[in-house]
Amino acid sequence: MDTIVALATPEGRSAIAVIRLSGRDSLEIVSKLLIDENFSPKPRYASLRKIYDPETRELIDEAVVTYFKAPFSFTGEDIVEISCHGSPIVVRQILDACLKLEARMASPGEFSLRALMNGKMNLSQVEAIRDLIEAQTLAAAKQSLRQMQGELSSLLQPLKEGLLEVIVILESALEFVEDDLPEYQMDEIKTKLYEIVKQIERMSSTFKAGRLLREGLKIALVGRPNVGKSSLFNALVGYERAIVTEIAGTTRDSLHESFSINGIPIRLSDTAGLRKTDDIVESIGVQRTRKVIADADLVIFVVDCSQDLTKEDYEILSEIEDMQHLIAINKVDIKQVELVEKFNGKNVVEVSAKTAQGVDDLRRAIIKPFLSRNSAAEEKGFLVTDARHADLLIRAKKEIEKSLELLDQKASEEIVLTGLHNAMRFLGEITGETTTEDILNRIFSTFCIGK
Amino acid sequence: MFDEVFDVVVIGAGHAGCEAASACARMGVETALITINLDLIGQMSCNPAIGGIAKGHLVREIDALGGIMGRVIDRTGIQFRLLNRSRGPAVRSPRAQADRSLYRMEMRRMLEATPNLHLRQGTVVDLIVKNDRVLGVELQDTRRIGAKAVIVATGTFLNGTIHTGQKTFSAGRAGEPASLELAESLKRLGFPVGRLKTGTPPRLDGRTIDWDAFEPQPADENPVAFSFSTEKIEQPQITCYIGYTSERLHQKIRDNLHLSPLYSGRIKGIGPRYCPSIEDKVVKFADKNRHQLFLEPEGHNTNEVYLNGFSTSLPAELQQELVRMIPGLEEVKIIRPGYAIEYDFVDPRQIKPTMETIKVKGLFFAGQINGTTGYEEAACQGLIAGINAALQVKGRPAFQLRRDEAYIGVLIDDLIRNGVDEPYRIFTSRAEARLLLRHDNADRRLMPKGYELGLIGDLDWEKFNRRRDLIMKLHRVLENTRFKRSSVEYASLSQLLGCDLGDSISLAQLSQRQGVSSELIHRLLPESIKSETSLKELESALADILYKGYIENQKIAYERIHHHDNMKIPEGFDFRKIAGLSREMVERLERVRPQTFGQLRRISGLTPAAVSTVLVYLMANKSDRCVT
Repeated sequence: MDTIVALATPEGRSAIAVIRLSGRDSLEIVSKLLIDENFSPKPRYASLRKIYDPETRELIDEAVVTYFKAPFSFTGEDIVEISCHGSPIVVRQILDACLKLEARMASPGEFSLRALMNGKMNLSQVEAIRDLIEAQTLAAAKQSLRQMQGELSSLLQPLKEGLLEVIVILESALEFVEDDLPEYQMDEIKTKLYEIVKQIERMSSTFKAGRLLREGLKIALVGRPNVGKSSLFNALVGYERAIVTEIAGTTRDSLHESFSINGIPIRLSDTAGLRKTDDIVESIGVQRTRKVIADADLVIFVVDCSQDLTKEDYEILSEIEDMQHLIAINKVDIKQVELVEKFNGKNVVEVSAKTAQGVDDLRRAIIKPFLSRNSAAEEKGFLVTDARHADLLIRAKKEIEKSLELLDQKASEEIVLTGLHNAMRFLGEITGETTTEDILNRIFSTFCIGK
Repeated sequence: MFDEVFDVVVIGAGHAGCEAASACARMGVETALITINLDLIGQMSCNPAIGGIAKGHLVREIDALGGIMGRVIDRTGIQFRLLNRSRGPAVRSPRAQADRSLYRMEMRRMLEATPNLHLRQGTVVDLIVKNDRVLGVELQDTRRIGAKAVIVATGTFLNGTIHTGQKTFSAGRAGEPASLELAESLKRLGFPVGRLKTGTPPRLDGRTIDWDAFEPQPADENPVAFSFSTEKIEQPQITCYIGYTSERLHQKIRDNLHLSPLYSGRIKGIGPRYCPSIEDKVVKFADKNRHQLFLEPEGHNTNEVYLNGFSTSLPAELQQELVRMIPGLEEVKIIRPGYAIEYDFVDPRQIKPTMETIKVKGLFFAGQINGTTGYEEAACQGLIAGINAALQVKGRPAFQLRRDEAYIGVLIDDLIRNGVDEPYRIFTSRAEARLLLRHDNADRRLMPKGYELGLIGDLDWEKFNRRRDLIMKLHRVLENTRFKRSSVEYASLSQLLGCDLGDSISLAQLSQRQGVSSELIHRLLPESIKSETSLKELESALADILYKGYIENQKIAYERIHHHDNMKIPEGFDFRKIAGLSREMVERLERVRPQTFGQLRRISGLTPAAVSTVLVYLMANKSDRCVT
C-alpha cells in the first residue's frame, strides 16, 4: 500500500498537533524530513528531533517523533507520528513536505480502513469508523463547506469533460486503426490540455485562500519605531488597544488582536519597531517581531510620509520584500514627501491612522488577493478548502503536465494516456469516477466505429 | 443408463468449443466434442479474420498457454498485417485474414490428431443435472452421454433467430438449425437468460467486382505470426481492397428504414456498438457522407468476397440494389445476403473465474453464451473452461488469470463482475496494465503456466527458455554497452541524432531517443550476442525498457483501485441500513443492486465518501468476503 499522511488532531491552533504517516515509505519520508539518512528509531520510543524542509533545508520545527513498526501499529503498517507545535503554518509546512516526498493525503477514514483491512479492528470499532466518516461529512456541512464542494465538483465537471474528450480521441486512434477516423490535430489537443492545466492551477491556488477562511489570516504590522504602527493597529481593530505615545519604542512586545474584514477572520499583530537597540527589553521585542513576521500570511510595512525614507526603512523593506506584503504610507494628513513613487506604486496604500483617511482602502487591500477577480474559481475565492482535494488537484495537474511533455517528445499514445488516465482518476476522487465504460460510450457516440 | 461415458463433454465446435476440447484432451482426460454438423468445425460465421487490436493480444495469450487458435491461423492465414506499427509495442497487434475453408479443415485435422479427443455429431437437447451437479447430456436422437464435466459453447445457436427484412426464422447460423431445446433446458435450470443480436454483411461474387475502382491494401511483407511456435508463414498472401459507400446509397437506406427489422422494432436483442449495421451507421452518423468498406476475399479457391463494414438485415432484394450503389460494385452479384441474428445468452455474473457456473457443479459456459462477441474472445474462454474442466476431473486446484497477468484475465473479470448489456468485445483500454500486457511478451507472461498445465510441448518449452534467457541477457548487454565520447560510434551517433549525447551513452538509453530504430540498436550490439539475436527478441527487450517506469506506476494504481473489488455484496443487502448514506446514494445503489464492491465502485454519481462508507460497512462482515 502507498503511504498516506494526515493531521491526526483537530485543525486550527493548539498546543500540539499530531501528523501521522502510514505505509511502507513512512520511515523513509520522515528520515528525509530529519535530513538523517541513518534514521532508525527504536519502535514505540519518542525522540525529540528537528524537522526540516527537505528542499530548502530550512528548519520548520522541533518535534517529537515516534515510530510504530508494522504490524504493531494502529493500521498494522509502518507508522510514524510527528507531534509538532500546533501552529497551522508548521502543520502545513510539514504536510506539504510529506506530499512532496510522494506521500498521499489520506482519504476520510483511510487510516481506520487500513487498520480494518489488516485485522486490527473489531466490529464495534468498525461502526465507530463509519460514524467518523459520517461526522466528517457533517462537520463539512456545518461549515457550509459541503456547498463549496458541490461547487468544486460542478466547476471540475467541464474540466473532466475536456480531459475525457482528449482521452477519447487518443484512445480511438489506438483502438480503431482500421476505421477511417478523422486524424486528430496535435496542436488542438495540446491547447486543450494546457487550458485544463491552467484551470486546475487556478482552482488549487484557491486552497490557500480557502485555508485562510478556516484558520484566519495572520497579519503583522512592521516598521521602524514611531511611524504609527500602534495607531494604525487601533484604527484597523476599531478601538484603542495599543498604547500610543510620542516616544519611539513604546511597543516592546507584540500585541495580537482578532477581528474580521468582510467575514474573513484576521489575526493582527502589532510588533515592536525593528531597529538596532541596546535596550535589552526592546531587543528581545525585536527578536519576537522577526518571529511574528516569519509566521505571517501578510506583512504590512508602515512608513511615515511626514519625512523621507530612512536607511532603516530600506533595511526592513529588504527583509519583507519576498513575502506577501502591503506598504501603508501613514500620516498622509501631514504629508511632506511623496512616497508612493518610491515604491513604484506597487502594493501601496496611503492612510492616516489619526483621521482614518484611507483605512477602508487598507482593509480592502488586505483581503483583495483572497477575493474575486475574473475566473469562476477566483470568484469563489475559497473554492478548495480540503487539503486532500488540493493534493488531488496538484497531482492531476502534474500528470497532465507529464503527458504534455511526452506529447512534445512525440511519445506513442498509450504512454501519453497513462498520465491522462491518472489525472482523470485523481479528479474522480473528488467528483466520482469515470470508468472505461464511460470512455467507450463516448467513443462510440463520437465516432462511427465498425469495420 | 448412458450410451457413452467421457470425462468431459463439450457442446459446440466453434472457436470456444475447439479450444476447450483440445485443452481437455491434451491434459489427459477423455473428451467428447459434440456438434450439430461435423463438417463445420471451426467455422468463421462472420468476418473471415482473426486478431486486430487487443484481439490479437488474446490470440497470442491463447497460444502462450498452449491453445490452438494461433497455430491454425498461422497455417491458413492469407493476409497478415501487424496493426499500429507506428505506435508503441504495447498496442501493436497482429491480424490475419483467413482462408475460411482452409481454417475449418486445419482445425478439424488438428482435433482429429489429438489423442483422447472424440468427435460426435448430434444435437444436445438437454443437460442431465442431479443435485446441482451435471451428469451428462441427452441428444436429439435420444442417446445419453455421461460426463463429469460439461462445457456449453453454443455460440449464436441458443434459440437463434435470423432476420432479413420482414422475414424471421429460427436458425443457429444461415442454413443451420438453432438449438431450441437446450435453451429451454438452461432456463429450466434457472439461469437468467437475455437476448443479444449480431449481424453479418452480404458476400459477393468476386468475378462481378470492378477491382480497379478500389484502393488496394496489401499484406505485410514480413508477416508476424500469431503462434510462438511458428517459424514462417507459408500461405501465399493476398491483397484486400478498400472502398466507400455513397450519399445516394445512404438516401436509399433512409427511404427504406421501415423494412429494416432493426428499425421496425422486430429485433429486441442488443447489438454491438462497435460493429454497427450499415443502417445504424447511416442513421446515427448522418453527417458522414461516406463510410469505409473492405473487400476481403474469402480464400484462395473461391470467388466469394466478404463486404466488411456493410452488415445489414434489410431484405435480400434491397441488399442487391444497395450494394450496386457502391462505386466499383455497379455490376456486382450477391452470393449470400447479409442477415441479423438474435440469440440467447446467460448473464455471465452466474459464472466463476474458472468459467464454471456457480449454480451447477461441473457445468461450464464459454463464448457467446456469456455475452461476448468475437472468435478470439470465445476461444480464450473455451481454453480457460477446458483447462478448469480437466483440472476438476483430475482433482487438481483451479486455474485463473488476474487482470494484470493477461487480457484473458481482464475479459473474464469484466464479464463475471459487471455482466454485459451489449455483446462484449475486448479493447486495450479495458486493461489497466495495458503497457505490461503486450503481444510480444505473452510467452514470458503465460507460457510457464501453460507448461505447468501440460499444454506446452517439450520442443516449444525449450524454444521458449532459449528466448527468455536471450532477452534477459539482452537486458544486461543493453545496460552495459556504453559508447564513450572518444569512441568512433559516438561521433556518428551524435551526428545522426543531431545532438550531444553526454559523456557516454548506453544502448538502453540510446534506444529511448527519438529517431533510433531497433535495427540501429541491433547493428550496435556486441558481436558476441548479435548473431543469436533476431529483431523480435531485441524489440521485446527494448519494449521492457521503454515501459519500465510506467509499468511500476500502473501497478501501484492498480493495487489501489482494485484492492477490494472482489468483495461480495450479499443478495438483498439493505443499503438503507448504512447510516452514513444519503437517500440519493441509497437510491442509486438500489437501482443498480451491485453484487460486488467492484461493481458498486463503478456506479455513476456515487460519491467517493459514499463508496468508502459502504466499503467500511462491508468489511465489518468478513464472512462475506469472496475468496479469490
